[in-house]
Amino acid sequence: MKSYDVIVIGAGVIGSSVAYHLAKKGLEVALIEKGGIASGTSSRCDAVALICDKKPGIDTEIGFASIQLFKQLAKEFSVDFEFASRGSLYVCETEQELDIAKGYVSEQAKDGYDMRMVDRHELQQIEPYLADDLAGGIWTEVDSSMNPYKLCYAFVEEGRKLGLDVYDYHSVQNITLDVQGKVESVVTDRGTFKTKRIVNCAGVWSPKIAEMVGVHIPIKPRKGMVLISEKTPFKVASQKVHEFGYMLSKFEDIQYKRNVSELVEKHNVAFTIEPTDANNFLVGGHRAFKGYNISSEIEVMHAIAERAIRFLPKLKDINCIRAYAGVRPWVEDHLPIVSEVEEVPGFFIASGHEGDGISMAPITGRMVTQLIAGEPTDFNIDKLNFSRYKKADAVS
Amino acid sequence: MSEKPTIVCRCEEITMEEIQETIEQFHCSSREVKLRTRAGMGSCGGRTCRSVIDRLVEELGGATVSNEVPLSYRPPVRPVSFGVLGGAKE
Repeated sequence: MKSYDVIVIGAGVIGSSVAYHLAKKGLEVALIEKGGIASGTSSRCDAVALICDKKPGIDTEIGFASIQLFKQLAKEFSVDFEFASRGSLYVCETEQELDIAKGYVSEQAKDGYDMRMVDRHELQQIEPYLADDLAGGIWTEVDSSMNPYKLCYAFVEEGRKLGLDVYDYHSVQNITLDVQGKVESVVTDRGTFKTKRIVNCAGVWSPKIAEMVGVHIPIKPRKGMVLISEKTPFKVASQKVHEFGYMLSKFEDIQYKRNVSELVEKHNVAFTIEPTDANNFLVGGHRAFKGYNISSEIEVMHAIAERAIRFLPKLKDINCIRAYAGVRPWVEDHLPIVSEVEEVPGFFIASGHEGDGISMAPITGRMVTQLIAGEPTDFNIDKLNFSRYKKADAVS
Repeated sequence: MSEKPTIVCRCEEITMEEIQETIEQFHCSSREVKLRTRAGMGSCGGRTCRSVIDRLVEELGGATVSNEVPLSYRPPVRPVSFGVLGGAKE
């Protein structure tokens, strides 16, 4: 039976990064994946690493650190993952949104982040195709983009150079524990692997993996649809552009109601657009709880297009060539879970990043490696500990 | 290869040679070929080239995924403007 220091389950962006970082540390690592590399959420998402969509505090702090790591990886890796720091632009539809945005920006600027307000004239200078009745926006200098599945391929290929073993098309059937309740082996449909440490990076599927050791992870799949434009000579967006109302669709606790159609409201659609290296645009965004269903919904396509042409009227003449959907690993408190599970020694979780998996992949890989190597983590990550749910249960 | 390369994906202009090299290097599935080369990601959504890609993967021994359509079909069937999709009144 083959034996490893650590077995990483799930070869999406989090698992690929965790496996790479562990291999770089000199550990013997296996990456086990039920399908191909990046065959789930990481190839059905958008393509950015942002701080502008994070809440002030640790969320922004680790998001910022992750972008710094991206810059370093883009230089080190021989595999290109199309990384670019282009900045990002929030647009505010109304004066009221602009007021909320000002409060948010001053909080982030106080923490030292390069975010600033832009007025309606500057908005037009940055993006001439934007509707001319918008109130203003936020420019975030550090925000970056990349190709998410090429990032997974890059982590895996760089990991392989360091001795990482990849078992794709291996479906995990069971995890066995020894008499003391510690991790002992991973059983797949194509063989069993011995290990004392497992990192569960299965994203929306991580609750199914955790069930095998009797642990309940409160992650729910949150669906998002994206429309793709044809290649067009019109540069309708030079970097990520999204409506500030996006923040409001992401975080349920922000009390603000946009003036939108019933259809847009019903499907929780907020405008976002990103250019890709292939000269298409990705147009979103959408959030809904529909289980694991990733079929395309025509109503949601209508709603996304309706919201998009409100902000970028030029899009009316540009074709949509395709639609896809993915499911994000959502947790109630919008913070990823990065920790060992106390009750099952050797069982680690790195999951629950919702829409921030791409953003947070490098820093998550680094944090897990620090935890496993017994080194101090760069940040105090108590808030990311899985035990927070136990405490919440005890309170309620 | 002859001097005139055979184009498999007309929308993204991906040649047979590029696809063969990708399968041989990565032993990958049709889906991974698509993501790595962009073959099938153009305006027709792979409606022209998907069967050729599947065939090449099968012949060259890439990863096969059982009981699944190797490359999925995605809407819209034909390109449609964001204006029509978004119900613009013009």
